[in-house]
Amino acid sequence: MAGTVTWARVKSPWVLHFNSGACNGCDIEIVSLLTPKYDVERFGVKLEPSPRHADVLLVTGAVTKQCTERLKRIYDQMPQPKFVVAIGACACSGGVFSGCYGVEGGVDKVIPVTAYIPGCAPRPEAIIDGVVKLLNALNPPKPNKQPKQAKALETPKEEAKPEAPKSAAPIEPELKVEEEKIDAKQ
Amino acid sequence: MQNNNVDIVKVIESKLKGKVKIELGRLGKAAITTSNGLHRDVFKAMVEADEKTGIVALTGLDLGATLSVLYHTRTSNAFLTVKVEVPKEDPKIQTIVDIIPGAAFHELEVTDLFGVIFAGNENPGHFVLTDNWPMGVYPLRKDVNANAIKLNPSPPEEAAPPENGRLVKIIIGPQHPALLEPEKFAVTVDGETVVKVEPRIGYVHRGIEKAAESRTYLQDIYLVERICGICTTIHACNFCETVEKLLKTEVPQRGKYLRVLALELNRLHSHFLTLGHAGLEIGYETLFQYFWRDREPIMDLIELTSGNRVYPSIMTIGGVRRDLKDTDIPKIKSTMTDLRSKLPFYRQIYANEPSLRARMKNVGVLKREDALKLCVVGPVARASGVDIDVRKDEPYEAYGEIPFNKVIYTDGDTWARMNVRMDEVEESINIIEYVLDHMPTGPFRVKVPRAVPAGEAVNRVEAPRGELFCYIKSNGTALPERVKVRTPTYANIPAFLKTAIGENIADIPPNFVSLDPCFSCTDR
Amino acid sequence: MERKIEARLQNRVGPMVAGPGGILQPLADLIKLLTKEDIEPRDAKKLVFRYAPLIAFAVMVFAMYFLPIDGASVLSTTGFNGDLIVILAFVTIANFLLFLSGWASCNPYGTIGSARVLTQFLGYDIPLTLLALTPAYIAGSLSIFAISSAQVTPYIPFIIMAPWAFVLFVITMQAELEKDPFDIPHADNEVVGGLETEYTGGRLAFLHLTRDVQIVFGAALVVELFLGGPHGPVFFGVPAFWFTLWFVLKLIAVVAITEYITVVFARLRIDQVLSVNWKIMLPAAILSLVLTIAMVTWIYPRVF
Repeated sequence: MAGTVTWARVKSPWVLHFNSGACNGCDIEIVSLLTPKYDVERFGVKLEPSPRHADVLLVTGAVTKQCTERLKRIYDQMPQPKFVVAIGACACSGGVFSGCYGVEGGVDKVIPVTAYIPGCAPRPEAIIDGVVKLLNALNPPKPNKQPKQAKALETPKEEAKPEAPKSAAPIEPELKVEEEKIDAKQ
Repeated sequence: MQNNNVDIVKVIESKLKGKVKIELGRLGKAAITTSNGLHRDVFKAMVEADEKTGIVALTGLDLGATLSVLYHTRTSNAFLTVKVEVPKEDPKIQTIVDIIPGAAFHELEVTDLFGVIFAGNENPGHFVLTDNWPMGVYPLRKDVNANAIKLNPSPPEEAAPPENGRLVKIIIGPQHPALLEPEKFAVTVDGETVVKVEPRIGYVHRGIEKAAESRTYLQDIYLVERICGICTTIHACNFCETVEKLLKTEVPQRGKYLRVLALELNRLHSHFLTLGHAGLEIGYETLFQYFWRDREPIMDLIELTSGNRVYPSIMTIGGVRRDLKDTDIPKIKSTMTDLRSKLPFYRQIYANEPSLRARMKNVGVLKREDALKLCVVGPVARASGVDIDVRKDEPYEAYGEIPFNKVIYTDGDTWARMNVRMDEVEESINIIEYVLDHMPTGPFRVKVPRAVPAGEAVNRVEAPRGELFCYIKSNGTALPERVKVRTPTYANIPAFLKTAIGENIADIPPNFVSLDPCFSCTDR
Repeated sequence: MERKIEARLQNRVGPMVAGPGGILQPLADLIKLLTKEDIEPRDAKKLVFRYAPLIAFAVMVFAMYFLPIDGASVLSTTGFNGDLIVILAFVTIANFLLFLSGWASCNPYGTIGSARVLTQFLGYDIPLTLLALTPAYIAGSLSIFAISSAQVTPYIPFIIMAPWAFVLFVITMQAELEKDPFDIPHADNEVVGGLETEYTGGRLAFLHLTRDVQIVFGAALVVELFLGGPHGPVFFGVPAFWFTLWFVLKLIAVVAITEYITVVFARLRIDQVLSVNWKIMLPAAILSLVLTIAMVTWIYPRVF
C-alpha cells in the first residue's frame, strides 16, 4: 500500500509557483517548461493555482522583505506531504542581490527547502533535472540502477512517506485548522 | 493643436525670464534650475506649449545639507530636466499632479526613498518600501546604512475587507495565477463591474539603486541587468550608454551594430512572451503554447550569439563582450525567415478568431488624452495614437542609420496593444536582417578606464515595454554616487488603474497583460 | 485521454510517465489526492463543506447507472419511461451541490466561482432539456433505452435525422460541463481555483471525480441520444461484449470532438456566456424542436 502511495505521489507532482521577489528570469524558464519544447506535463506535473492543491512549491527570487510573510503563509497553507524547491541563484542564497537592503537572501531563511537548483537563470533542462532528482529521491529506483542522486539535495527533506493511518481517513476532523477564510488567498 | 516644432527652452525663457537658471546642453537639452513653487509655473508653461509634455522620471539626490529633485521631462522634440532643491530639515515641495497626473507615482517613490514630502500627494504608508520598514528612515540618503535597519514587527493581519453594501473588495494578491510576479491589487467590485483598483507595489523591491552605489561600474552592469530577466539586455545597454556619456567614449561601429542585434533579439523574445501570455490570460492556452513554441528558436539564437538563454550579458562599457562569428549569420537569417513565415498565421488569428476578438476588442480602452496626461510609454502609448518611440525620437546606437517604421494604432484597446507588438515583431525582424547585411568590420569594443570622471549623465532607450531611462552621477571615483533607473512599467501602471474602472472583472487579466507589466522592473 | 488530446493539439505529448503512455495518470492523481492531508478553513460551513462533494459524486454515479451500455441485458430493466428527464435532473442536482461546496468554503474566490457555476448551469439547463427532447420526440418515448433502441431498426442514428439538434446539443453540453469556451467558472487566472480553492486531499479528489464523471456522462448522453447508443454490428461471440465496445468507441469519438472544441477557442466572459445562452441557444433550441416536429410529422414518413 505504501508503495502504491509513493508511486502515486511521484507520478503526480502538482506544483505551485511563487515568485518571492525575482527578476523574472527563472520564472520565464519555469513557464517554458510547460511549452512544447520541454513539456513537463509528461511527468504528470500540473501547474496549480491554489496552494491547497499543490504538492511542490517552486520558489524563485531572493525573498524580499515584503514577501517574507506571504511566503510563510503559502507554505503553511499547503497540505502535507509538501516539498519546496528553490530555483535560481537568488532563491538558493540571495544571488547577486545578497546584501541589498530589500532582500532576506535565500528561501531557506524563511521556509525549509528540499531541493536547490542553482543557475542564473537555470536552463529548463536543469530545472527538469532537479525535479527528476527530487522525485527519484522520494522513490529511489532499484539498486542496480544507481543514479547520481542527492547532489542537488542538501537539507534533510520532509518526510517522504508519512504514516498511512494519518491519511487514510479523509472525513476525520482536520488536523490543523488555520487561517481565516478571506486571508487564505491573499 | 500644438506645434510640434516649438522650442520649449525658448518658451520657458520667455515666460519665466529671470526666475529660472537655464544651462543648455546639460542633463538633456537643458537643465532648468528653479525653486519650490516656481517649478509649477515651469510645468504649466510646458504643458500649454506642447501637449506631449510628459514626466519621464523624478530623481532624488542627497547633496548633504539639501535634497535635490530632478524632474526629467520629455516634450515632442526635446528632453530636459527641471531641478528643485530643498533643505533636508524641511524637505517640502508642492506637487505637480494636478498639472501632469502621470507624476503621481514618481513623487511617491521619492517620498519613500528620500523623504521629500510633496504637498498635495501624500501617502500615509509606504509605497515602494516594505510595510514594516520604519517610518522616517530613508534608505537612499547618504547618511543611512540601509542594511542595518531594524524592521518593525509585521503589521497585524488586515481584517476581512468590509463589505460595503454591494461593493466587495477582492484582493488579487501576491500569489495569483494571473500574475507571474507578486504585487497586490485591491479591486473593489460592484457585482462584476470594477469600481476602483488600489495597487500595492514594492513586493519585488530589492534595493538595487542603493546597492549600485557600493559596486564598481563594471559590477553594476551585472546588477542592473538583473533588474528584469526579460528585458535584461536593454537595461545593460542603457546603463553602459550612460557611463559612456560620462566617459565621453564612442563605441565602435561594429559594436553598435552588434548591440542593435542583441537588443532586437531581446525585443523579439519579449514580445513573443507577452503575446503568448495574453493567450493564457484569456483562457486560450493553445495560442500560448504556439507562441512559446515559436519563441524557442529565438532563445536558441540568443544562446548562439552570447552563450546563455535568459541572461546574455553581452553588454559591457565600451561595446559588447563577444564578437559575432560569420558562420552564425546564416543560422540567424534562416530563423528570421521562419519567423516571418509564421506571422501571417498569427495575424489571421488576431484578426478573425471570434472568441479572441470578443475578449480583446473594446476592453481596457485608453484614450489619447489620458495616455498623454498619464505619461504612458511604449506599445501602450503607441496603441492609443501617441507616436513616441525613442529609437526614432532620439536615436541611439545604430538606429539612426537603420530604416524601420513606428507602429501606431489608434483604438487604444487591448486588441490594439497586442497588434502593436505583433507589428513590432515584424519590424524587429527587418532590423535584424538589415543589421546582418550591413555589419561593419572592425573592433567591437574599446577599453575604458576604471575611474569615471565626475559629472552627471542621462540616457533614454526603447525597451520592449517602452521608454527606459537612466541617470548616473559620478564623483570621479570607481564607484558611482547615484544610479537612477526609471522603467517603462512604472510609468504604465497608472494607465491600468484607469482603464480597469468600469470594466468587467473578467477583463482584468487581459487588460493587465496587454500593458505588459514587469514588476521586477517597477520595484527594482 | 483528455489531457493527451489537448497536449497533442498543442504540439506537446502530455502525460507519459505514469503507466504505459501515461494511461495511469488520472489514477496516480487520484491516489495522491486521497493520501494528502485534509485541511478545513476555520470559517467554512462544516457539514456542507465535508459532504457536498461526496454527495455530488454519488449523484452523478447514480445518474450514469441509467445509461444502457451493453445493449439488451440487465440494465434495460432499470430504465423506465421518463428516465431521460430524471437523469437530467440528477445532473442539475449534482451541479447544485458543487455550487454549495464552493459557497461553503467562505472564500471570495470560492464564492465568485460557485456563483458563476450556478448562473451557467441553470441557464443552460433549459436549452439542454429542450434539445434532449428532440430525439425523444423522434423516438416517441422518454426512456433512454427506448431512444437508443429506436435507432437500431432501421439503423439510422438520430444524428442523421436531426443533425441540427446534434450540433446544438454538443455546444450546450460543452457549456453545461463548463469546458472551453465556457469554462469561466474554472478560470484559474481569475478566480484561482474557483469553487475548488479551499479543498485539499480527499474532498478535492471527489470534486475532480464528479467533474470527470460529468464529462463522461455528457459524452455518454450524446452517444445514447444521437449516435445509437451501444448498438452496432455484432461480429462474433457474446453480443454484450460488442455492444460495450461500440459504446466505448463512440464515447471516445465524442470526447475527442468536445476536447477539440475546448482547445481551439478562448474563454468567454460570463456575460458573453449568458448572452450566448439566452440570445442564441434558447431560441435555437426552440427552433430545433419545432423543426424536428415538423420534419417527423410530414417529411420523414415519406422518406423513411
